[in-house]
Amino acid sequence: LKYTEVEFASCLMSFYCSANFRSAREILCVSGPDLQRLTRLSKTDVQRLHCAVAAAVRKSKPVTALQLIRGECPVLEAGNRLSFSCRILDGLMRGGLPLRGITELAGEITGAFCLQLCLSVQYPQENGGLNSGAVYICTEDSFPIKRLRQLIALQPRLRPDLPPALIHSQRFSDNIYIEHAVDLEALQACVSQRVPVLLKRGLVRLLVVDSVAALFRSEFQADEAVQRSRHLLAFSNTLHRLSHEYGAPVVCVNQVTDVVDGPNPGRCDYGLVGSKVLPALGIAWANQVMVRLMLKRQVQSDSRSSAPRKLEVVFAPHLPRASCLCGVWEEGVRGIPDDHSDLQPQGSS
Amino acid sequence: MHRTVPSLPLAPSMKVKLINAGFQVASDLTDMRPLQLCKEAGISQEEAVEVLQVLRDDGQPHQQRAATESLTALDLLHQEQALGSIVTFCSALDDALGGGVPVGKTTEICGSPGVGKTQLCMQLAVDVQIPVCFGGLGGKALYIDTEGSFLVQRVADMAEAAVQHCTLLAEDTEQRQALEELTVEKILSNLFLVRCHDYVELLAEVYLLPDFLSEHPEVRLVVIDSIAFPFRHDFEDLSQRTRLLNGLAQQLIQLATQHSLAVVLTNQMTTRVSNGQSKLVPALGESWGHAATQRLILHWEGLRRLASLYKSPSQMEATIQYQITVQGFRDAPDEPRTTPDSSAVSSPSGNHSKRPRMEDLS
Repeated sequence: LKYTEVEFASCLMSFYCSANFRSAREILCVSGPDLQRLTRLSKTDVQRLHCAVAAAVRKSKPVTALQLIRGECPVLEAGNRLSFSCRILDGLMRGGLPLRGITELAGEITGAFCLQLCLSVQYPQENGGLNSGAVYICTEDSFPIKRLRQLIALQPRLRPDLPPALIHSQRFSDNIYIEHAVDLEALQACVSQRVPVLLKRGLVRLLVVDSVAALFRSEFQADEAVQRSRHLLAFSNTLHRLSHEYGAPVVCVNQVTDVVDGPNPGRCDYGLVGSKVLPALGIAWANQVMVRLMLKRQVQSDSRSSAPRKLEVVFAPHLPRASCLCGVWEEGVRGIPDDHSDLQPQGSS
Repeated sequence: MHRTVPSLPLAPSMKVKLINAGFQVASDLTDMRPLQLCKEAGISQEEAVEVLQVLRDDGQPHQQRAATESLTALDLLHQEQALGSIVTFCSALDDALGGGVPVGKTTEICGSPGVGKTQLCMQLAVDVQIPVCFGGLGGKALYIDTEGSFLVQRVADMAEAAVQHCTLLAEDTEQRQALEELTVEKILSNLFLVRCHDYVELLAEVYLLPDFLSEHPEVRLVVIDSIAFPFRHDFEDLSQRTRLLNGLAQQLIQLATQHSLAVVLTNQMTTRVSNGQSKLVPALGESWGHAATQRLILHWEGLRRLASLYKSPSQMEATIQYQITVQGFRDAPDEPRTTPDSSAVSSPSGNHSKRPRMEDLS
């Protein structure tokens, strides 16, 4: 039975296209000449097969940056950000957290930031939120439920820009899902099984991991760097995929390590000269992070929770290296304007 | 072109069938349809298509190369220079690269997170569009983003700064006319973005590149930021990864030469321990080091950002300093000489290069 050239090619193509994704991957991973040998098709047919499978795999055609900035492709560029609930902090971040990608918070008072974001995300989009809840994964201490209740009660003080009716109508506690992960296996299970369900149902649009360092540092010895990298990459890949699929910011809290020696050619300092601390987990993790923020004490000796801290943008694709002062008040974290650096925060951590 | 059938690169049995059917020279076959050839020579459909394909490939695939002529080295040099290069707006780097990122070659940019790889790529995507009368290429750009770090706000800032830069330089009427059309919107409309979420999508995108480039022949730059990200997890079989990466590199260099493009790839850094000492080296393995025509490594030295050119067929190894300002990728500010200007050190936008940027300025 002889097909015409066109019939044969399209028959073969529809066969491969109707098969599942795994087959498409196999076809694209085989080179032209190898595919010719395996299928006994001619060179042009193989080229057409590759193109047809590639077109089926491709999620969307190229768009122009003009379309992106006009908001015509919300899947690629949302245009809005997740607000920190503070004008100064939002100013440092040009609006807030990007909706896609991993933002890392390393250093002190990170918990305060995370709780504040869990509340901020619940407001409507026009008020800087995402109209959805948050998942908070604890790997170190238990979730600070008392502090959360205090922040909820004092929201009107933090957000005087919002109508009190709007604030009181929010059911904040109901929309924060708390998970505890005691080891790496539990953590991976949480992000690959339970979190996607919450995202798919639209119940959450913020994922907080507090902290990412704890489990990775404790479960691997110093000489197991390769295994640790592999697990870190698998974990960050899951986060990355979820973040992009659902447009949900991912915030990962990281620990910091002390810098005891001077500049080390084997270690990247990210231009943080003279810093006594660097984010943990090395360059393997840093490569997965899109926005890296560090929180440091202003005065080394002043470790009171009420002392002002410096929030620094270490790197971000859309932000310059800049910093601002911030402090923790009873109602939450606020940025301190430059001309008010004498302001003393009075709150608990 | 008078090739005889026996001299064609085909299987002997095929040649016998063709000769027996009466085809003596290649030109007898060029106008044949596959079905006709199939009937006349008594070969199968696929074989007929194959024969015609071989004939086409054997002809003149490249516009520059005639089948019977050979080129002198001087001709090749002229051709290379005619292809041009894309400026980076950092004159020190442009000088080290011999004018800018070269068209017709693949350039790899390696560096740690935050050192400026994505910034340089975005800058090039804007700079490729600088009109020809300003010394640019007046071309379009395709940006393949695998990490999700392409944020259009930043590109818009760079485009704005580029337009202002050209406005300051405009001297004659031709340049002023070109300026009227050079708006931020125009620049953004000539920058195409594709996002790939894993290596399969990236492979697919590269297979679809020839079609895209035929539809948009003004594209002069293709950026893949980064090529490392999708290939650094998910691979149990590292030899397959090497094979795929090599295949990609070959496809990309072919596209670069056939379509007169500059291809820019970014790569990550990883730690390598040797003799008890650890060093930061480009990721993706040793064999990948040979993939690109040129390799640029961006790195920190204290507070300074440095770019080192390694492995270039035409340029010397060099290290220059650069900075990232609000306007984009630029020269580092000059060191203060007699009058230390403290504000220059702390201000975000450093001095622009003192040397004229475009060749036609005196």
